[in-house]
Amino acid sequence: MDKTEFYQRLAEILDVEEVKPENVLKDFDGWDSLAILSVLAMADAKYGVSIKAEEIRSVVTAEDLARLVEAKRK
Amino acid sequence: MKCIFKNKRISSIITVVPSEEYRFDDEYPLYKMTETQAKRFKKMMSLDRHRIAPPEVCASDLCLFGVQRLLDGGVLKKEDIDAILFISQTPDYILPATSNVIHGKLGLDHDVICLDMNQGCAGYLTGLQQACLLLEIPAVSKVLLLTGDTSSKLVDRRNRISYPITGDAGAATVIERCREEKTIDMDVKNDGSRYKALVIPGGAYRMPSSAETLELREVEEGVIKCLEHADMDGAAIFNFTMDDVPPQIQDVLSFSGDTWDSIEHFFLHQPNPFIVTQMAQKMKIPPAKVPNNVVSLYGNCASVTIPLNIALNCSEPMLTGTHRVCLSGFGVGLTWISAVLDMGPLDFCKLVDYKAT
Repeated sequence: MDKTEFYQRLAEILDVEEVKPENVLKDFDGWDSLAILSVLAMADAKYGVSIKAEEIRSVVTAEDLARLVEAKRK
Repeated sequence: MKCIFKNKRISSIITVVPSEEYRFDDEYPLYKMTETQAKRFKKMMSLDRHRIAPPEVCASDLCLFGVQRLLDGGVLKKEDIDAILFISQTPDYILPATSNVIHGKLGLDHDVICLDMNQGCAGYLTGLQQACLLLEIPAVSKVLLLTGDTSSKLVDRRNRISYPITGDAGAATVIERCREEKTIDMDVKNDGSRYKALVIPGGAYRMPSSAETLELREVEEGVIKCLEHADMDGAAIFNFTMDDVPPQIQDVLSFSGDTWDSIEHFFLHQPNPFIVTQMAQKMKIPPAKVPNNVVSLYGNCASVTIPLNIALNCSEPMLTGTHRVCLSGFGVGLTWISAVLDMGPLDFCKLVDYKAT
């Protein structure tokens, strides 16, 4: 998985210039239920993985999220 | 569970919406959204407007208005109604059943089956299934299926997540026995273990109505609700629509001997345009086959999105020809039902505005 591309997609969803791996998702203004829905949709459409509601709630940083998607692809 | 029904057809559809239309652009300040947030939300959910019934109008009023139009137009005769099915989450009373109230208002004779069912977004399909079962009774040759909800009463106007996509509507569908060799192939699935994904916790008998259940709280920014309002786990419902519904549609298509190509229209329930787009993409169905404008123009009207979709987008073709269609309803319960059938030519297919009588 191209992580740079993943962070770019995340940045688009959060409506910011850039997302760094260490960024805490909750610190973004745009991290709301719409953003969560967009992430679930993006993971499904672009990476073919289904992230569960309870899984996304346990994610803290952008890197955690990338790892979750990557782990599910295997 | 696979269900096959023979020699039954949908013969008429009328969908009724309140005449009161509200636009997102006018309403968003109520949600405490900034202009940027509103733009983002509007774009993602393709929001434009929705129809909301005034406080005194119930789902049954919308349905009854439709029935009256069918009777006035000579499409339906009172003496031909053998059963009334009323499917809703917003009935007139806790008791009696609203179908009985409607029976009385229509002044029907005593030889009529009246049945209420508590169903939401899968309600149109639940109704189709129950109507087909009732039509197995030799004395029943015509069923009046009424689906309707005034969901706006289950959500606070300031709830920025739910209210913008909420819509009120009612529909009357006539389902009858027919001589032609027609088959309705259906798959019915339920998972009660996930009922908490969409629930109104208070106000019935598990948690009776009290000052506490009516207390409005801001549970997160811009989301005001009480325990008697619908409580939805959006992410869990999204998982459900993407993981459970597409495989069912695929399954019912192979069961009925169809492919994506042989189906002209996929009338999916529309929770919001975003989810329908995602589902169509996942199933690789061309968007042109999946009309997806109901929520943008009328709101998510639960069990009415399917008949509204048909009346809004396909009224003319449905009146003149026969079309291979796939219907799919999914939501609260959790319940998901998909069906493949031939639809049309219908005797009547229209979308009308409600007027108080």
